[in-house]
Amino acid sequence: MAAASTASRPRASKAESFVDNKRKEDIRSANINAGRAVADAVRTSLGPKGMDKMISTASGEVIITNDGATILNKMDVLQPAAKMMVELSKSQDSAAGDGTTTVVVLAGALLRVCQSLLASGIHPTVISDALHKSCAKSVDILTAMAVPVELTDRDSLVKSASTSLNSKVVSQYSTLLAPLAVDAVLSVIDPEKPEIVDLRDIKIVKKLGGTVDDTHTVNGLVFDKKVSHAAGGPTRMENAKIAVIQFQISPPKTDIEQSIVVSDYTQMDRILKEERNYILGMIKKIKATGCNVLLIQKSILRDAVTDLSLHYLAKAKIMVIKDVERDEIEFVTKTLNCLPIANIEHFRAEKLGHADLVEEASLGDGKILKITGIKDMGRTTSVLVRGSNQLVLDEAERSLHDALCVVRCLVSKRFLIAGGGAPEIELSRQLGAWAKVLHGMEGFCVKSFAEALEVIPYTLAENAGLNPIAIVTELRNKHAQGEINSGINVRKGQITNILEENVVQPLLVSTSAITLATECVRMILKIDDIVTVR
Amino acid sequence: MPIDKIFKDDASEEKGERARMASFIGAMAVADLVKSTLGPKGMDKILQSTGRGHSVTVTNDGATILKSLHIDNPAAKVLVDISKVQDDEVGDGTTSVVVLAGELLREAEKLVTSKIHPMTIIAGYRMAAECAREALLKRVIDNKENAEKFRSDLMKIAMTTLCSKILSQDKEHFAEMAVDAVFRLKGSTNLEAIQIIKKPGGSLRDSFLDEGFILDKKIGIGQPKRIENAKILVANTAMDTDKVKIYGARVRVDSMTKVAEIEGAEKEKMKDKVKKILGHGINCFVNRQLIYNFPEELFADAGVLAIEHADFEGIERLGLVTGGEIASTFDNPESVKLGHCKLIEEIMIGEDKLIHFSGVAMGQACSIVLRGASHHVLDEAERSLHDALCVLSQTVNDSRVLLGGGWPEMVMAKEVDELARKTAGKKSHAIEAFSRALVAIPTTIADNAGLDSAELVAQLRAEHHNEGCNAGIDVISGAVGDMEERGIYEAFKVKQAVLLSATEAAEMILRVDEIITCAPRRREDRM
Repeated sequence: MAAASTASRPRASKAESFVDNKRKEDIRSANINAGRAVADAVRTSLGPKGMDKMISTASGEVIITNDGATILNKMDVLQPAAKMMVELSKSQDSAAGDGTTTVVVLAGALLRVCQSLLASGIHPTVISDALHKSCAKSVDILTAMAVPVELTDRDSLVKSASTSLNSKVVSQYSTLLAPLAVDAVLSVIDPEKPEIVDLRDIKIVKKLGGTVDDTHTVNGLVFDKKVSHAAGGPTRMENAKIAVIQFQISPPKTDIEQSIVVSDYTQMDRILKEERNYILGMIKKIKATGCNVLLIQKSILRDAVTDLSLHYLAKAKIMVIKDVERDEIEFVTKTLNCLPIANIEHFRAEKLGHADLVEEASLGDGKILKITGIKDMGRTTSVLVRGSNQLVLDEAERSLHDALCVVRCLVSKRFLIAGGGAPEIELSRQLGAWAKVLHGMEGFCVKSFAEALEVIPYTLAENAGLNPIAIVTELRNKHAQGEINSGINVRKGQITNILEENVVQPLLVSTSAITLATECVRMILKIDDIVTVR
Repeated sequence: MPIDKIFKDDASEEKGERARMASFIGAMAVADLVKSTLGPKGMDKILQSTGRGHSVTVTNDGATILKSLHIDNPAAKVLVDISKVQDDEVGDGTTSVVVLAGELLREAEKLVTSKIHPMTIIAGYRMAAECAREALLKRVIDNKENAEKFRSDLMKIAMTTLCSKILSQDKEHFAEMAVDAVFRLKGSTNLEAIQIIKKPGGSLRDSFLDEGFILDKKIGIGQPKRIENAKILVANTAMDTDKVKIYGARVRVDSMTKVAEIEGAEKEKMKDKVKKILGHGINCFVNRQLIYNFPEELFADAGVLAIEHADFEGIERLGLVTGGEIASTFDNPESVKLGHCKLIEEIMIGEDKLIHFSGVAMGQACSIVLRGASHHVLDEAERSLHDALCVLSQTVNDSRVLLGGGWPEMVMAKEVDELARKTAGKKSHAIEAFSRALVAIPTTIADNAGLDSAELVAQLRAEHHNEGCNAGIDVISGAVGDMEERGIYEAFKVKQAVLLSATEAAEMILRVDEIITCAPRRREDRM
């Protein structure tokens, strides 16, 4: 049906040979409206007093979140321009990790001013160029405002992490989570490459039960897995020698199809006995190296372990953790400082990892496995996140991820900037002044851009239940007097020097929000037609 | 007696005037569709797919737009084809060619209504096209001898190409990148050696050119992350057990030990294979297929860097740039050509780890890493950069350049006008029409920029009355300006291709006087 309707459309347009500019205007305003609608949807979740959204997905799952990227991701929009807004927030997520709501709100505000600029007859490309110029200028201004930070200055790092956490559900735990995030990131920095942090070196394990208060880093490794209890094997092991194996302790299976022909019962018995011997042989080899903890990779081809092998392993006092995912192997081996073993023949003592204690701990109704006191531990960290229900738990994980990203930003670009709307107001002021020295349409567009930036403090105040107009005008006034670090203190409901209040964020978050938002708006502006294609 | 039916049911036939009109209108509609993307202030289009996922593409590239259209008008299809050919041949000017063909047909339509025979029009068009080409040839600039000047020509061409695209704001940055990349090629037009990698995040300005080759894959666990003086074996082979590829092949055994023996044998075979591979004296092994845990461990033990599941394009290019051959059997180490490079290391771009091969055997190779806000931006940036690279590599071979900004069209139009005055007979109308069609290009550029096209084109025409004038439309300042001063250059090859293929396409469509639509093939109703 869809194909039939689209096929008829180009044919209809062929009948008219004159250029219809009305349609182009319509498309553009439709795109802008769609983009703004998306921005409006997440606007209320901006800032420390921002509200959360409840999303019920098509599969019936319910998500409560304050994270812009997550909200947009689950919104499932269809309109192409709206889709671009979703992409925008995704790229902010990957570039900076935080500010995913800010970037969309900013883009929405820019679209709004573009709409009025277009209505006054300015050509879209002129607006687009002016946007680009203002954006480059903004980055300069922001960089000039920023305060350098050292990685040794743990307090500042914690402050910026807690600014990010303050807008989340878990804000009351920010005193716990912020230092945790900072320590986690600092611990995985490789001294050889101090600029780069790979967040994959930080493993976040979620476990239902307890409260967010119980979240802690584990100096070692945590698995959300049970130790195999099948045959009463050990669940606690001191002085553990750990092997990560990628083969299976089960009866042999060949790749080629095979069948064993049994003709009578004695043969059956013999086969069973051989199977036992085979497994026993493997376990003996394992035991011979002194290994007492086995981490077994999940296998899709056959059972990783059978009841029989578990039984023998238990007898040999070897602890078994099965179904470790293949993608986890790299992290595990890196942490344990051991090598994965893919064949029983290669099972040698030097490939094992050592740890003081491997134990199964029960948490709530579930159990987790902790490996602590690892010898020569790699540069990895595990964080165990707890929460009283699945929703809180998921949100806590997302918030923690944002906080980690914030710290990572600071590691790669070591500058801090004030939060609480201070940079946006300052930008708006300086750009406004700059606009006056520009000539022609450009100056006009830059002025509008400057005005659009005020949306951030405005929304912050609005979401906090303050009078946005009063607050923003006062803020402008303060900045005009040269107090460039004045911002909205949402907790006190007034304007204070925001740096003193310890509300700081990484420079990278602000600059990338502005550049990404302008890039996206410029793209939307330049579109004059939506063509349906195969 | 009328003939009942020659065709099948559902087949239709349009004749004479009707057929001509149908093809004119179809072609013009297509031209009008892409018209608004022409020039530095051209607009973009959203291409919304009706397929699964409703994926969205934002583009300014004429070829990309036309390629993805649903079209059932035969004449419109001809235009789509010429744009495709233009894309393959020279890479740029894909919109111009369609717009020019559309204008030629629009003019032809007027002539046909005033009762001029299509063949006369064609003859006139041919003469005009030839004359226009001559006019261009007279005015080309060739700086082949002067290397420094030639480079600056290339920079200008790249910037002109890029300024109509999404990269316009960072055009210097990207022009620099494109020119560097093309110079590395040393005259070959093999764009395969330039690899474009797209990584979301960052902004367009963070894009960079890197010598060497980047593979978007991970290094196996426990293997060295950095190798100097690497000897690389590129392979496409299954690294699990070799299987008999006969359906239903199976072994029958009568005891567990024997099963274990078979399994052992299979392992042994794998080990043999790895041993053979190691026998090549390599320290890096790149396979297109998966390397399973067991061989991976063996490679790790031998201190060899093994990369699994590299995509097909990836390994072909890797083979090309490192000078190695893709191997699939390993019995004769001496006959396999290994690839070489100075350094292999893991680098991080954005959030992802990639493998970087530097100091590769084929010096021409380089990678361009594009960064941008979203996939849409990146895809469009890639298309734009590809256009620029195509044009540049063509220009390196054919170093003749022209000024841009509607200048070539005006030069051609002037010459063609003069020809029309000299030509006797009905043909002169067609030649005049051709000149009008040429002027339509600067008109469209001005229109798209929201400028007063009638005024500007009239000014331009007056300027061009002087011999050796360099005037063109400067869209940025919105006035007629000297193109040489502004540094707006285009490749001669592109303009020539635009001119000739547009004329040919127009001619082809003009010749049509009957459209026969065959009955659609009957399909089983699948709904």
